[in-house]
Amino acid sequence: MKVMNAATFTVEREDHTVGNVIRMQLHRDPSVLFAGYRLPHPLQYRLVVKIQTTSQSSPMQAYNLAITDLIKELDHLKAVFEHETSQKQADYY
Amino acid sequence: MADASSGEHEPELPPHLELQRTRVVCAPDAPSYTESVQYSGAYMAYGVDNSLRIEDFCKNLRVEIISMNEEDIEFDIVGIDAAIANAFRRILIAEVPTMAIEKVYIANNTSVIQDEVLAHRLGLLPIKADPRLFDYKSEEENANEKNTIVFKIDVVCTRKGERVLNSSVTSDQMKWLPEGSEMPFNTMTKFTSFGSSQKNLPGLPAEGISCQYPDIIVAKLRPGQAIELEGHAIKGSGNIHAKWSPVATARYRMLPEVNLMEDIQGKLAEELVQKCPTGVFDIEDVGTDSVNCLLQSRRPLWQDQGTARCVASV
Repeated sequence: MKVMNAATFTVEREDHTVGNVIRMQLHRDPSVLFAGYRLPHPLQYRLVVKIQTTSQSSPMQAYNLAITDLIKELDHLKAVFEHETSQKQADYY
Repeated sequence: MADASSGEHEPELPPHLELQRTRVVCAPDAPSYTESVQYSGAYMAYGVDNSLRIEDFCKNLRVEIISMNEEDIEFDIVGIDAAIANAFRRILIAEVPTMAIEKVYIANNTSVIQDEVLAHRLGLLPIKADPRLFDYKSEEENANEKNTIVFKIDVVCTRKGERVLNSSVTSDQMKWLPEGSEMPFNTMTKFTSFGSSQKNLPGLPAEGISCQYPDIIVAKLRPGQAIELEGHAIKGSGNIHAKWSPVATARYRMLPEVNLMEDIQGKLAEELVQKCPTGVFDIEDVGTDSVNCLLQSRRPLWQDQGTARCVASV
């Protein structure tokens, strides 16, 4: 059964650490209709991400956008955190 | 809800929906609204856009470090989702590499501790070495100065008159061998092939590589017993074996918010303040006989004056 604008991505050697974060970011995209991830088997180290988007964008696009946005967010978080820790260290000495 | 001053009409969620969206409510039987509402079209009927843009994220993100020392750090992050916090926790426990003893070559062990138990204990010792200076080592590779750290323990328990020397082997008796392995003793080829000494590694601490804590008891001996062994440490991460996990533990929780549903005054207020062991509530004098009860600080629970609980401990 063919569904329009839907795709399944298999990511090898990853688990909930990455899957949950990607799923969360995909949900924030307004053009994503359906996004979910699962680990098909706990003894096999891979995960499957299922995405369906509106006709405005494609699952590929949504996935790439989610990953780039996540990288930007985490870079920003890292910068803020390093700023705070260096300030805190400066307070100590 | 139109704003008279500006032309823009910013639709807002009614307060109960805003509560559902941003707060986890701890009801008497179970917490509710634990699933964060991430779907961007969730509140389309109200005209509220639930999607998150990168600029909004950068604007709302705040990190506050509550306490930080060599072993613990506790900090608040405002503005991220639980999924990211959980991902950090999982990565801290399982994916940050460290160095730990993997192979133990025992030349002599006449103590009551069995070889394998001793080797297991040595593997769990925390080693103060920066894992970024080293490469991973696979099974087939030769042990060289870039992927192995060699330690030696050579302790004999003797009796000196009344006193017994070296009755316990502590982790500071584990000596670092920067030149490589010295075993096996009677052949020219050694277990490791160090091209150069590890003493000259850039980024090494001044006192060399050692165990993080010098007072960990590895084994106990009686007079006449000896332990002579070599331990080879390699780089690994916590998902292979817990000895490579850099944290004692890492945890996160949602910041609790306590709201008083009604004004509490007078004797009841004093009673409430006394009842709470961690000092959540505070008394505010309103002038007349009655006193009102209000919340002391934003971080009430888990932080009393005596002990501080930490989020990430090493």
